[in-house]
Amino acid sequence: MKRRKFEWGYLLLIPGVGYIMFFVLASLYIMFAQSFGFYNYTGTSEFSLQFWQHVFSRTFFDDLWFSFRTALLTALISIIICYPLSLILQRIPGRKTFLSILKIPMFVPALVASFLIVNIIDYHGVINMILEKLRLIDEPLRLRNDAAGIGALSVQIWKNVPFQMIIMYSAIEAIRKDVRDAAANLGANRFSILKEIIIPITLPSALVAVIMVFVRTFNDFAISKTAGPYYPTSISNLMYLHAYTFADWNTAACIGVMMMITSIAFVSFYSYLSKKIGN
Amino acid sequence: MATRLIVNGIDKAFDDFQALSNVSFTIEPGQFVTLLGPSGCGKTTLLRVIAGFLEPDQGEIFFGDQVMNEVPPNKRNTAMCFQSYALFPHKTVYENINFGLRMRKIKVEEQEKRVREVMEMVDLVGLEHRKPYELSGGQQQRVALARAIIVRPEILLFDEPLSNLDAKLREKVRVDIRNIQRSLGITTVYVTHDQAEALAISDVVIAMNKGKIVQKSDPKTIYNHPSTKFVADFIGSANIISGTCLEAAGSTAVVNTSLGILQVQNTGLIQGDTIFLCIRPEDIVPDVSENVLPDQNVLTGEVLNAVYMGSSLDLFIRMDTQHIVRASVAKDTWVSEGSQIRFIVHPDKICIMKG
Repeated sequence: MKRRKFEWGYLLLIPGVGYIMFFVLASLYIMFAQSFGFYNYTGTSEFSLQFWQHVFSRTFFDDLWFSFRTALLTALISIIICYPLSLILQRIPGRKTFLSILKIPMFVPALVASFLIVNIIDYHGVINMILEKLRLIDEPLRLRNDAAGIGALSVQIWKNVPFQMIIMYSAIEAIRKDVRDAAANLGANRFSILKEIIIPITLPSALVAVIMVFVRTFNDFAISKTAGPYYPTSISNLMYLHAYTFADWNTAACIGVMMMITSIAFVSFYSYLSKKIGN
Repeated sequence: MATRLIVNGIDKAFDDFQALSNVSFTIEPGQFVTLLGPSGCGKTTLLRVIAGFLEPDQGEIFFGDQVMNEVPPNKRNTAMCFQSYALFPHKTVYENINFGLRMRKIKVEEQEKRVREVMEMVDLVGLEHRKPYELSGGQQQRVALARAIIVRPEILLFDEPLSNLDAKLREKVRVDIRNIQRSLGITTVYVTHDQAEALAISDVVIAMNKGKIVQKSDPKTIYNHPSTKFVADFIGSANIISGTCLEAAGSTAVVNTSLGILQVQNTGLIQGDTIFLCIRPEDIVPDVSENVLPDQNVLTGEVLNAVYMGSSLDLFIRMDTQHIVRASVAKDTWVSEGSQIRFIVHPDKICIMKG
């Protein structure tokens, strides 16, 4: 069998790929090692499963469920808003201006966005003020740091709709006009064109948009910290709490591993689903 | 199934650009009509107006007796083959072909029967489960054709359907399209900028330029008797010469041209008329005989170039007046570049166009 010749050109990838891979692999190694008791900054560094025992507690599962639920709802509600919006924007005059306006939340840092929205949903915020003026409520509603996490969810949706819009608008725009015309010419009405042509063709893009927003939101720290409930909180907050408040880096590492596993599980699920759709 | 198509006074503008100006014609049931013209002449715009994708600014479209202006594209019962084929990329060949029947809510058994019949007709059997990207250009074209004819449209529309195929395949597919159209008898409007395709495939050719119809005739007439300089030049090769009528009496007229004095058929010319003459290259015959008939135009010139075209030999002849004439002669004609050549143009082969 002929031996494959080594391609020296691959060495040119080292500055880019090497830089990224070094930090990815090094931090993964540290994280896994810490989760099993190694690299302990405050105690003995030795193999131990006690940190994993700390992790699997009621608090962890509550926080995991909160993060999962917020991420899933954000991803799904955003795409539900995004799909019709992208379709409408394709047709209206001045769509470039609208698109530019809609992209603004993307460029506002999460923490700043959160503070801005908090001012609106706060106890003495704009929404409560309007509702009181309209005499729809007797006393202000608790929208910020509420137990259901609606405040955090609102900020997440506001922040992620533009992100999904970029993906979905491009995906819908990429469908050639003559494909839609062909469907109309063969007897399809607007609803049939949407159901038979636009949605199936853009479904893989929608899936990408949902998965990306899910992963972004699942791992979010800033928005849940400012606008989310005090308990349960996001899993990133729990990790921060263990690392910086309790100086328990090993338990924080265990939480990090769990976050990684959830994200990888979702991306794998996406790959499986996209293959299935592709077939 | 076959329907008369009436296009009556259609105007269509895009901002300041007038794409169609007062376009009117009638297509008889079952006729195959080609809209022929250069890019930007409005032929595709007209096709899209007929299909209902564009609303005309003025004028009416009739299918039979029914005005179609207010009828949306999905209710018009037309079927269109697009230049890009516009196949649905996520659907299989079977699903693509069956799409129109599903939208029309035809019974499932009937759908299956008709898809089977059409697939046999266009020779696609065995490719049912393939996706469009797994097909060759010719196969994609046939799927587009099958998808269009399966719905049994009143009007079949083609928008330059062969432009993405290679020359050999183009010739084959155009014959297939013509045969299928004849067997089904569907009124057909076919858009192309390829004059050879238009002449080969059509019952009627409508030549368009700058949003207007310049001539509507059968292929022979439009080729042999172009009504304008534009048509003569656009359809096939032509020697277009300007001239002035010197004398017009009886069936012949004498015209002073840049080639010399020519006898032409008198089509109602009056002395002093400024006209254009069209002589097709294949109507120029090299003269090898000593005896010349009195009613023939005999001209001499110098062969500048002799270009071998395979099926013919194209000669570029410089006349004494320095005018260059193109002649297409038999491929085995012996001519050397730089030699003098004497040739004949019969008066009835000279087409007269008003200036």
